[in-house]
Amino acid sequence: MRIGTLKTSYAADEALFDTPVQRVLLVLLALCAIAFPFVASPYWLFLACLCAINVASATGLNLLTGYTGLVSLGQAAFMSVGAYAVAVLEIRLGTPFALNLLIGAGLAAAIGILVGIPSLKVKGLYLAIATIAASVILHFLFAHWSLTGESRGLSMPPARLFGLTLDQPFSLYWLIMPVTCLMVLGAANLLRTRIGRALIAIRDRDISAEVLGIPLLRYKLTSFAISSFYAGLAGGLWAYFFRVVTPESFPLVNSIFYLAAIIVGGMGTILGGILGAVFMTLVPELLKFVANWATPIYPDALAALAPVRTIVFGGLIVGFLVFEPRGLAEIWRRLRRFFHLWPFRT
Amino acid sequence: MTNTRLDRRQLLAGTAALAGGLALSVRPLAAQDGGDIVLGGSIPLTGVFAFAGVGIHAGIQDYLKILNDGGGIKGRKIKYVAEDTAYKVDASVAAFNKITSQEKVSLYYGDSTGFSKTINPELDRRGSMIMAGASFATELNDPKKFPLQFMAGPDYTEMFGILLRYIAKEKPGARVAFVYSDSEFGRDPIVPSEAVAKELKLSVVEKIVTPPGSVDVSTEVLKLRRANPDFTIFHGYVLAPIPEFVAQAKQMGMKSQFMGTFWTMDNSTVQRMGDAADGFMGVMPYRYYYDKEGTAPMLEKIRQMRPEYQSTGYLQGFVTAMLMTEAVKRTLDAGKELTGVNLKAGLNSIKDFDTGGLFGVPISIPGNSVPVGRIYRFDAKAKQMQPASDWIKL
Repeated sequence: MRIGTLKTSYAADEALFDTPVQRVLLVLLALCAIAFPFVASPYWLFLACLCAINVASATGLNLLTGYTGLVSLGQAAFMSVGAYAVAVLEIRLGTPFALNLLIGAGLAAAIGILVGIPSLKVKGLYLAIATIAASVILHFLFAHWSLTGESRGLSMPPARLFGLTLDQPFSLYWLIMPVTCLMVLGAANLLRTRIGRALIAIRDRDISAEVLGIPLLRYKLTSFAISSFYAGLAGGLWAYFFRVVTPESFPLVNSIFYLAAIIVGGMGTILGGILGAVFMTLVPELLKFVANWATPIYPDALAALAPVRTIVFGGLIVGFLVFEPRGLAEIWRRLRRFFHLWPFRT
Repeated sequence: MTNTRLDRRQLLAGTAALAGGLALSVRPLAAQDGGDIVLGGSIPLTGVFAFAGVGIHAGIQDYLKILNDGGGIKGRKIKYVAEDTAYKVDASVAAFNKITSQEKVSLYYGDSTGFSKTINPELDRRGSMIMAGASFATELNDPKKFPLQFMAGPDYTEMFGILLRYIAKEKPGARVAFVYSDSEFGRDPIVPSEAVAKELKLSVVEKIVTPPGSVDVSTEVLKLRRANPDFTIFHGYVLAPIPEFVAQAKQMGMKSQFMGTFWTMDNSTVQRMGDAADGFMGVMPYRYYYDKEGTAPMLEKIRQMRPEYQSTGYLQGFVTAMLMTEAVKRTLDAGKELTGVNLKAGLNSIKDFDTGGLFGVPISIPGNSVPVGRIYRFDAKAKQMQPASDWIKL
């Protein structure tokens, strides 16, 4: 049983992982993540990579919406900027994938700044509509520009590293997972800096933040830039993962997916972005197993249960919003507290 | 307080049960030689394409039932393993990975152009299966770029080619308009079909692009009226905005003949156009469920198995399974291993093949498509699509 954590320095107080147990668990988690590709089937590796890409993008959106309070429905559009940039660079110039990813993310950040300009004047739903408008413009551009392959899109070669071709979930895992971990760690650290505190201040009360001397436009645009950078990088990873980018690869519904992910996971917590993205990616897949188990008993279970699965997934999301509005991160926090205080009551 | 504890225990127990269940669900690969031949499928049973996916699923199942009840292929049964994809590329790729992790797949049904393009490098790398699906994209009809894929019908440009040949025969030098959706699906055949029209001495007087599924088309109808085409071909839609277009154009007194391509041509879809359906024409590679013209033993079998009307999606799934398994049969007959290259060679050896009357004429598959179709016209009195031309082979 642990009843408290004694901290004897400011550094300890500000540490990202503040208890030895937490640090040990993280090391174990890292070891599991390293061992995972060697034991998992290509299917689970595929899902792990997809989860990682979605976590990266959801974390970016969480910085913007969860921490800065700026609602955006343009995350998928920023991802498409990264994906197209990577595809064009890979096809036309054949530059190294790390450079392509950074250029794609940078370009997405630049466009994110442009889209974020109205954020000083408009908030909430109004801003959400502005971001939708931006995604419509980007979609039109990609569907009609010869450089982006118009409506047929682009098929790109796989990423290469020291002569190795990264074209399988196994090899791509070693690219996607570390990048996502770095992005999540970067986001967690950012929130401990002056910038992160400014973002939270803006979310809590922007007028008070301005009175305290935080330049609103600069920090709002910074938030948009960081969020779009994350989306662009995630989009670049997505492009290397699927290797076909079309205007229909990033529909508006994907932006709603990321917003739903951070709401279900828990807005304004890094863990929430991770849990929400994993939940939204995996649960529809896991629900398919029910149909597989029922198939021996009822041969056409797949066709009969497919619509039910969609309803159950929708019901789960509604259930979370009603019974746990603070998201999966809050459930996780309560679970931790339970084990900390066990065998006593919380 | 007690309740909270119970909840947590239940949560832990539930998580453990789920993990256990998932572990059990990962099965070893099926026996490789002499065992079942596996047809995997990424099928859109939910989502925007579910209207076709449900029929496709049933069609594949029914054909395999007929085949397996008849002893399979050289005593080997065909096992169908499918997953719902909701018409999403990532879900389709997940389904592909899941099914191929658990089974030795020789045949695969894919649900979209996006998926076919995305999975193509993986198909080539594996070299163990052939794939067909719901996409008739022109891009896929390229044996060099997509050597292990095919489509159980004409590609979208070939569908336009069949329509344009019919038009050229009916009214030489006719004025034609193309109305298509602003999507990969919609744009697919437009540019090559303009060239075909030119060859046939038809003039393409207007090209109108609309958002897919749009409802307010009054501006576009005015544009169409100004162009005054003899024939208007819709592509890249299932239903909307075709009824709106046709109804408004008729109100304005236009005499243009309206036409559609395969995914619009289901009898129930055309019926849902209401008054606009009367006289609506289009290209269809298969006979309709109710077609009793000539001899069609396979259609008769379908009608016995399912007394109620079956959609064009059903027929597409049925025919695809038939052609795939015919490729398997020919490969095994030749004493060859079931590899992607051998299966594709088996498929391409299909020449003047009788599908039991599903295609109205014997078919050949020299490349990646079956370039055959017929023009049908909707008869409002009979509430059925009726043949308006003979079978047209490209």
